[in-house]
Parts: sequence; C-alpha cells; structure tokens
Amino acid sequence: MIEFKHVNKWFGKLHVLDDINLDIDPGEVLVICGPSGSGKSTLIRCINRLEPIQEGEIIVDGVPVHDKKTNLTKLRADIGFVFQQFHLYPHMTVLQNVMLAPVNVKKMSAAAAEEIAREKLTQVGLTDKAGAYPIQLSGGQQQRVAIARGLAMSPKIMLFDEPTSALDPEMIGEVLDVMVNLVSEGMTMCVVTHEMGFARKVADRVLFMDFGKIIETGRPDEFFDNPQTHRAADFISKILTH
Amino acid sequence: MMAFYFSRLVEIFPFFLKGLWMTTQIAFISLFTCTILGFILGILRSGKNKIIKRLIGVYVSFVRGTPFVVQVFIVFFILPEWGIQLKAFPAALLAMAIMGSAFICEIVAGGINAISKGQWEAGTASGLTLIQQLRLVVIPQAMKVILPPLVGQYVLLIKDTSVVSVIGVMELTRVGWVTVVRIPEGLMVFSLVGALYFVISYPLILLSNYLERRMAV
Repeated sequence: MIEFKHVNKWFGKLHVLDDINLDIDPGEVLVICGPSGSGKSTLIRCINRLEPIQEGEIIVDGVPVHDKKTNLTKLRADIGFVFQQFHLYPHMTVLQNVMLAPVNVKKMSAAAAEEIAREKLTQVGLTDKAGAYPIQLSGGQQQRVAIARGLAMSPKIMLFDEPTSALDPEMIGEVLDVMVNLVSEGMTMCVVTHEMGFARKVADRVLFMDFGKIIETGRPDEFFDNPQTHRAADFISKILTH
Repeated sequence: MMAFYFSRLVEIFPFFLKGLWMTTQIAFISLFTCTILGFILGILRSGKNKIIKRLIGVYVSFVRGTPFVVQVFIVFFILPEWGIQLKAFPAALLAMAIMGSAFICEIVAGGINAISKGQWEAGTASGLTLIQQLRLVVIPQAMKVILPPLVGQYVLLIKDTSVVSVIGVMELTRVGWVTVVRIPEGLMVFSLVGALYFVISYPLILLSNYLERRMAV
C-alpha cells in the first residue's frame, strides 16, 4: 500500500531521512516512535508530499508520490492526515470543517457532503457539536473533529502525526478510542505516537527511528518487552518512567 | 467684503461640486484598482517564489520611499519620453494605482503571513489546490487582520487624490486653487475644500473605527 525505496531527505545539512526502506500492507497499523528530531514526523509527511524528498521513491497505492506528473490533489484526497495541533479552520463550524474537502475536492453536492459529514461526526461521537466553532471545543473534541474531517474523504490511508501530544491527559483516551475504532474497520494507518498502550493494543508493527534511520521494527509486544538494540531499549525505558 | 465674497462663493458652488465629483471618481476608481492590484501583489509577496517576492519588494520600497507628487510627475512627464503619452486623468489614475497598490500589497501580505502554516497544510493535506486554500481557508481568516488597516488606507488614498491637482486634473484641490485667484479669501475657499474632502472620508473613518473594534476580538 505504501512503499519507501531508498528514501533520503535533507534539511540543509541535516540528514533527516537516511535510506528509508519500508513496506506497509493494506489494513496494516504501523506505529512509529523515536526521540524528537528522529525524523518520524517527516517520514509520514512525505507520504502525502507535505514534504519533498531528495532521493529515492515513495509509492502509495501504485502512485509514485514524488513524480512530477502525479495528480497531487487526487493522491491527497485518498490520504487522511491528522496533525498534532489539529489545525481546524477556526472561521468555520465543525460541520463546515468536515464538509469543506468533500465539496471542493470531490465536488460533492452540499447535501451529500453534509450527510457524510454528519455520519463521520457521529462516528467520532460529536453529533451534537456540528454547529459549534472549533474554539468552543476542548482539545480532545477538536482532534476528533480533525479525524472526522480526514475520514469524510473516505481515504484509503490515515496518517496521524502525534495526535495526542498536544492534549491534556484526560482527553487522550477519547481520541485513542476513536482511532482504535478505525483500526477495527480495517483502515491502513501510520501513527506517530508514544502511546504504548495504543501500540500494544492495535499496532501490527512498531517502527523505531533515530537520527533519520529505521533502527528497529517488530511486533509491539516483542519490541516493547524485548528490544533488540540498545537505543530502542534506552528509549523505551525513558517513556516508561516518564 | 466677506459677505460679497461669500455670495460669490455660493454662486460658483456648482464648480466645487464638479471638483468633488472628479475627486470622487478618481478616489473610487483608484480604491477599486488599488484593492485588486494590491491583493494580487500581496498574495504573490506572501508566496514562495523568491524572485517574485524580491521584485515586489523593490517596487514597494520604491513607492514608499518616494513622494507621491514625484511619482505623479514621473507618470505624467517622464513616461511620454518613452512614448507613453497619457492625458491628465488617466495619468492620475495610473499614478494612484501604482502608489495605492504598493501600500495595500503590504497590508495584504501582512495579513496572509499572520495565518499559521498549519492552516495551509491542513488544506493541502485534504487535497485543496493552492487557490482553494487561499480562497476558502487563508483569505477569510486574513481578512480580520487586513480589513481595519485597509479601510484606513482608503482614507489616505482619498486624501492623496489632492496631489494629482499638480498635473491639472480639475479635482477639488485644483478647484480651490483656481477659485482663490478670483476670490482671495483663502481661509473660506479652502475650508470649503476641506469640508468636502471630509464628507467623503468621514464615513470611511467611521467604518475603520468600527472594524477595528469588531476585529479586535
């Protein structure tokens, strides 16, 4: 579904992605973790070309992402992206936030888009907030709207960039629940997160990055209980004690 | 004597109204063109293309760094040397467009730059084109930042139309000059001129104040 072939990327002199090779199957749930600055966010931002790459190739559902001829609008319409800071549109209601892309990218009628939007809001448990503005919602609710906004495009893949890192602890659960629910629907997901509970429960694979390299991959229980590399062990002990 | 001049002034008041009409035309045509040009330039200036940004930067600096009256002279007296001969009225409009669009460009670019990168990225990620991101996501939010100084700039532009009197456009200020030759009561004549400018500007000043309060939230 998503394939990285010898992907290299630099920010100036900083080698943020160092020869990344990766295959993600349809329906797979991949959790990416690692210290800050390890390149994990950059990695998933390359999948829908929010970031350019300098070398290598990324293929999503048969489409070469960084090819000049690739229809980016179509590619991105099939990939939902959830940001750490939500990035809801503050001048629109929750419903308008969710409807915007279906109407303007998929050219759906307003009525059809609204139907889908309401359905997705129900899915994230926010049916009654359709008319609210983002500023009136808690962080957890905003992030659930952001997930609904992604889902409204009926994507094949959902990417999550530290979706719970900006949330107060008591709101993390409600967002993770929505994501777990997505997993059970068979969505292909890449999640950058340090939520070990989530990773253990639903991830098919955990990928550990440091200094732009993939250091270790494995099934979540193997990775967390018996890491193979010193750096991964060190990292796990840090997030456990924190 | 005062009374005599006053009745003379009343007699030629229609002449002032003609001047007011000319000023109004120049002002509103200019506000329109300056706004459109200013938005186009401002959007490009806030964009990614470094060469375009630089070019617009040079243009804006030039306009901001030279007196408007000199710009009017350049358009009216120097362009003809390069074969562009304009009559006073179109020359006035062109000079206004050059000056006003530069100032509005800065206001628009400032407003767009105030919107976080995340808003663009959210639009990008959901498949919106660049134009759609601007139209649906960025500009509606930036308008909050843009509108109050924009309307303030409109007031300045209206007053700056007085400068084009130097190339003989029969607008309000020019009418004042011509009149004061025949009615040598400068205070009276130019009070009337000032009052008539005020009539056009004041509603916009009120609007600007209102917007500043509304958008401050």
